[in-house]
Amino acid sequence: MSQNTSTSTSTSTSALAGTGVSIDIRNVVKRYKSMTAVDDVSLSIEPGEFLTLLGSSGSGKSTLLNIIAGFISADSGAIEVGGKDLTKVPPYRRDLGMVFQHYALFPHMSVWDNVAFPLKRRRISKAQVAERVQRALDVVELGHLGKRRPTQLSGGQQQRVALARAIVFQPQALLMDEPLGALDKRLREQLQLEIKRLHRELGTTFVFVTHDQEEALAMSDRIAVLRDGALVQVGTPVELYERPASRYTAEFLGESNIFTGRNHGVDEGSALVVRPEHVRLSAVGSALPTGHNAVDGVVREVVYLGSGLRVEVALPDGRHLITRSEVRGALTPSPGLPVAAHWHPEHALVVRDDTAA
Amino acid sequence: MNTKLLCRGSLVVLVVLTALYLVAPVFFVIPTSFNDSSFLEFPPKAFSTRWYEAYFQDPAWINATLNSLQIGVWVTILSVILGTAAALAMVRGRYPVKALVSGLVLAPVLVPYVIIGLAVYAVFLKIGLTQSILGFVLVHTALAVPFVVINVSAALVSFDERLEMAAMSLGANRVTTFLRITLPCIAPSVAAGALFAFITSFDEVVTSVFLAGPDVSTLPVQMWSGVRVQIDPTVAAVSTMLLLVTLALFASAGLVRLFRARRLAKVA
Repeated sequence: MSQNTSTSTSTSTSALAGTGVSIDIRNVVKRYKSMTAVDDVSLSIEPGEFLTLLGSSGSGKSTLLNIIAGFISADSGAIEVGGKDLTKVPPYRRDLGMVFQHYALFPHMSVWDNVAFPLKRRRISKAQVAERVQRALDVVELGHLGKRRPTQLSGGQQQRVALARAIVFQPQALLMDEPLGALDKRLREQLQLEIKRLHRELGTTFVFVTHDQEEALAMSDRIAVLRDGALVQVGTPVELYERPASRYTAEFLGESNIFTGRNHGVDEGSALVVRPEHVRLSAVGSALPTGHNAVDGVVREVVYLGSGLRVEVALPDGRHLITRSEVRGALTPSPGLPVAAHWHPEHALVVRDDTAA
Repeated sequence: MNTKLLCRGSLVVLVVLTALYLVAPVFFVIPTSFNDSSFLEFPPKAFSTRWYEAYFQDPAWINATLNSLQIGVWVTILSVILGTAAALAMVRGRYPVKALVSGLVLAPVLVPYVIIGLAVYAVFLKIGLTQSILGFVLVHTALAVPFVVINVSAALVSFDERLEMAAMSLGANRVTTFLRITLPCIAPSVAAGALFAFITSFDEVVTSVFLAGPDVSTLPVQMWSGVRVQIDPTVAAVSTMLLLVTLALFASAGLVRLFRARRLAKVA
């Protein structure tokens, strides 16, 4: 907010820094009547790591987070935090900070009292409480709004208060359940950066739940992709994007062109993945770089994105292919233009096709 | 334009008539209480405060009033505790016979008070609870609990349970969470329930008639017998004072709400 906060902020943050702890999720299963919400998930989160649980709605990501937090008890399996088994420990003794999608600020308390709440539960001296509340509010740049009620703040400010409240007691780890889901795009991107900064400066383990793959790619050290309660793949954003283990991951993270079937040289149960940015377009009949795979098609649609073009090419079999290219490339694509779409074989990835079912 | 005006006009007339109908007893009671006559008479003929004096000088009236207040306070305390707990169980609980429990808790509203009074009288006579403060408190509490339950469960249904989750993640155990988070958030409804509970008890005639006697009586029973046995204008004086007390209660509740709204507006 003000220009001179950067220095004071970082000293404030370092005073609140936690020590990252590991979180081990061991064979956790949670079943509801008709469905398996969490299907035998095992996952080790490194100390100080920013791990995102990514999945569409119903993938079990929130259920898993609530099991870590202790609000839902697993049917079987164990949760260990910092090497201690917390499976049977109630949420109020787990010492894990939590941030909710709809802020969950206490409406009958001022911003200050909201942030002081966890400290008062820990019987810390009044002077200490005052100092740490102020520091936490400074970290989220709301130090001047302590007297306000939560309802008198904007959505972004409310979520920052919730963040301050969740870090003020230096929890072992911070759990966030779609914390940016209720905010508009610009605010979301701004808070993404702030949460990243907090993570860097605090050194605390962060577990972040989202359905937004861009958010996951932008923020995480590692991403765990969940589908129907099961863990599909865990890896760094680069690993998941560039080397997806399955068609589901490839399609869920970023855009991809998928080829299946023998006429593309792909075995049954496998799929070929080519990312749009690796597909290049040339005039039909022109010389292609040696070794490139190619398909002929007709440009169907061109979308100007500012930073580049997104071109959809209709293929003879009725499907279409997406490419990204520069605005001033060798070829200016326009709808109706016949083109050859081609890519280097190293960019064509054969993955398990797990979407058939 | 004309039809609109007509609609508005008839609406105003309707509202005024309804309001008059509702407050009509007041126009009878207040003037009668200041009448200088040994009968309940309307319209009053001469002004006097003798029936107010009569009230304050008669130990029967004063005792009945004190009894009613004492019973009312106990009933309020008990029914707020029981009713809030019951509402929690009904809204939050997950157990098989939930519908049955809800039905039982709310039953006193549906069962005619005469039947309750009769049944209670038969039992209390045996165990010696008629003409005792405890007896009144027990019966009135049963009648008042549903009002607390209805108020509080409505508030609990709209209460965001994630606030409790947040409190627990911040280190508050279940009791602290309830006292510091849930209770303050539903406090207005608990207070409304308490007001209802007090008035239910303070106003109760039907079951009280069975329990009362020469030794222990309540204000409504005293008023009832005051009219039945001899037509005593003191009843009108008592009614007027009760009206004032009720008015003061609701006015102060309104003022508190207004004050809160003002304070919030000022900070913003």
